Amino acid sequence: MLRHALLLAGALASTGLAAYPKDPYGSPMWDYNLERYLGEKAEVVLDDRVNLEVPPFAEDSSQVPLTVDLSGFDTPVQKVITWVDLNPIPHLFTYVPQTRVTVVSLNFRVQQATTVRAAVQDESGVWHVGSAHVDAAGGGCTAPSQASSDPNWEEHFGQIRGGAFSPANQSRLKVYVRHPMDSGMVGNIPAFHIETLEIRDTAGGQDEPLLKMTLSESAAENPMFVFELPDAPPQYEVWMRDNNGNQFQRQVGEAL
Amino acid sequence: MTRWCLILLAVMALPAQAALRYHLEPKQIAPDTWMVEGKTENFSKENGGNIVNTAFIVTDAGVVVIDTGPSLQYGDALHDAIRKITDQPVTHVLITHHHPDHAFGNQAFPERSLSALPETTALLERDGEAFSDNMYRMIGDWMRGTQVVLPTQELAPGPLIVGNHTFQLWGFTGHTGADLVILDKTTGTLFAGDMVFYNRAITTPQSPGLNVWQQELDLLAEIPFERLVPGHGPMVTDDRAFRQMHAYMTWLDALFKSSANRGLTANEVMRTPIPGRFDSIAEASYELIRSTTHLYPRYEQAALRMLPEE
Repeated sequence: MLRHALLLAGALASTGLAAYPKDPYGSPMWDYNLERYLGEKAEVVLDDRVNLEVPPFAEDSSQVPLTVDLSGFDTPVQKVITWVDLNPIPHLFTYVPQTRVTVVSLNFRVQQATTVRAAVQDESGVWHVGSAHVDAAGGGCTAPSQASSDPNWEEHFGQIRGGAFSPANQSRLKVYVRHPMDSGMVGNIPAFHIETLEIRDTAGGQDEPLLKMTLSESAAENPMFVFELPDAPPQYEVWMRDNNGNQFQRQVGEAL
Repeated sequence: MTRWCLILLAVMALPAQAALRYHLEPKQIAPDTWMVEGKTENFSKENGGNIVNTAFIVTDAGVVVIDTGPSLQYGDALHDAIRKITDQPVTHVLITHHHPDHAFGNQAFPERSLSALPETTALLERDGEAFSDNMYRMIGDWMRGTQVVLPTQELAPGPLIVGNHTFQLWGFTGHTGADLVILDKTTGTLFAGDMVFYNRAITTPQSPGLNVWQQELDLLAEIPFERLVPGHGPMVTDDRAFRQMHAYMTWLDALFKSSANRGLTANEVMRTPIPGRFDSIAEASYELIRSTTHLYPRYEQAALRMLPEE
C-alpha cells in the first residue's frame, strides 16, 4: 500500500503539472511559468503571507510599481523570484537574502494586462506563491526608453540618489539609478540594463552580501529600488553591474 | 443567400447601434449660453466618455462652441443639439486643451472653426494617436470613426470679439501645459476648462506640478465672474470650486511630500484612504493611483540625496 502511494506520488511529481495548486487567477501561463522558474518538481503552495502588491491598473505601462511585502512571512527565506506572466520575458527579479528582508519594491514594464507572481522559497525548499493582477493598455516592453530619444542621456547616466528611512523603526533603503534599462525589444536599441545588484554590510564581518539580486528585461527605466532590512544596521554599500560591464558602487548612510 | 445574410446582419447591427447614443441635454445657464454637463465618472463603455462639460454661446455672428467631447459621435450629437436651438452656423470652436474628452469631437465641426492655443495643437499632434488607442480600449464602439483632427486656428491670450459677445482669453499651464480659460464678458460666464474641476478629482498626466497649478488657480480666482463652468462637475456661482481644489491639492501635495520623506513605495501611497472631508469629490481613489504614477517620482527623488562615486 505504502509502496503504491509512493509510486503514485512519484508519478505525479514527474509529470510536474499535477503537483501544482490551481491558479486562483486562471492564467494560461501558470503551470508553464511555475515549471520554468521553480522547476518541474517544485513543491508549490498558495500563501497569503506573500503580499504582492501592484496597482489595479497601469497608468503608465512603462512604469508599474510592484512591491513584495513579506512582513507577515515569519519563517526564514532562501530565495524570492518575481515574474510577469504575459510579458515577452516574464522574469522580473530574483533575490537571495542573508538577512530578513521585509519589503522589496521596483517598477516594471507591462506588455499587456497580466497576472504577476512572487514565489518565496522557505528553508525546506517549498515555494510559497502570492499573485496579483494588473490591467494595462500595455506596450511597456516595446516602448523606447526616454533615454533612447534624449541626445544628452549620458549626462545623467549612472547618477545615483539614495537615502535610508525608518518607517515604523525599520531600516528602509531607497536607491534611484539613472539607467535606460533598454529591454532589447525596441528596433535597433540593444538590451542595456542592470543585471546584478548587491547590498553589502559596510560594518564588515560578512562575506556574503546582505542581499543579492538579479534583474531581467521587465525592469523599468531609471529604477527606484526600495528595500527594507529590519535587522541590518543602516549603513550599506550598494553595488550594481549592467550587461555592458558598467559597475556602480555607493554608500548609503544614516536616515535622512 | 448572400442577400439574406446581409439583411440579417443589418437587422442585427441596428439595436447595437441604437444603444450607443449620447443623449445630450443642453441647459441654458445665461443669455445665449448653454452648458452640456457630463458625468463625473471615469471613461467607461457605459457612459461612452460623456464625462466632460461642453458649452456653446449663440452670438448674432455665429455660434461659439467650447470643447467638442470625447468622440465623433459626441461631436455630432452636440452639433445636432446646437442646430435644434439656433440656425446660426458654428463659426468658432475653442478647444480648451488637448485631452481626448475635450478634443475628440472635432471632426463634427468645420475645420476652419477649430481653434486652440498653439501649444495645445502641438500637444494634440504629439499625444493624439496614443490617446486614441487608449480611448478605443476604454469606451470601445463609442469611438467608431473617430480620428484626431488638429485645430487650424491659433488663439492668443487677450480679447476675442464674436458678434455681440466679447470674450477674454487666458493661457495657463497647470493642467496640461497649455490650458485655455475663457471669460464671456458679455454674460459674466467663466469657462475654466480643466483648470477647474468641481466634485470630481483632478487628473494630472501632463501637469507641470501641483504647485504650478495652485499658483495659477490664485490668478484665476481673481477674475470676476457670475458663474463658472468647470471642465468636469456642476456649474458654480461662487468660489466653492476654488476652495475645494485648494483643499484637495494641498492635501495631495502634503501626502506626496510626507510619504517621500518616510521612504514609502508608490504602492503604499496609492492605497492611502481619501479623507472623509473629500467625500464629495468623485473618483478620488482612482485618480490617486494615477497621480501617484505621474507626480510621486518627483517627490521621491527630491527626498533622496545624490550619492557621490567612491
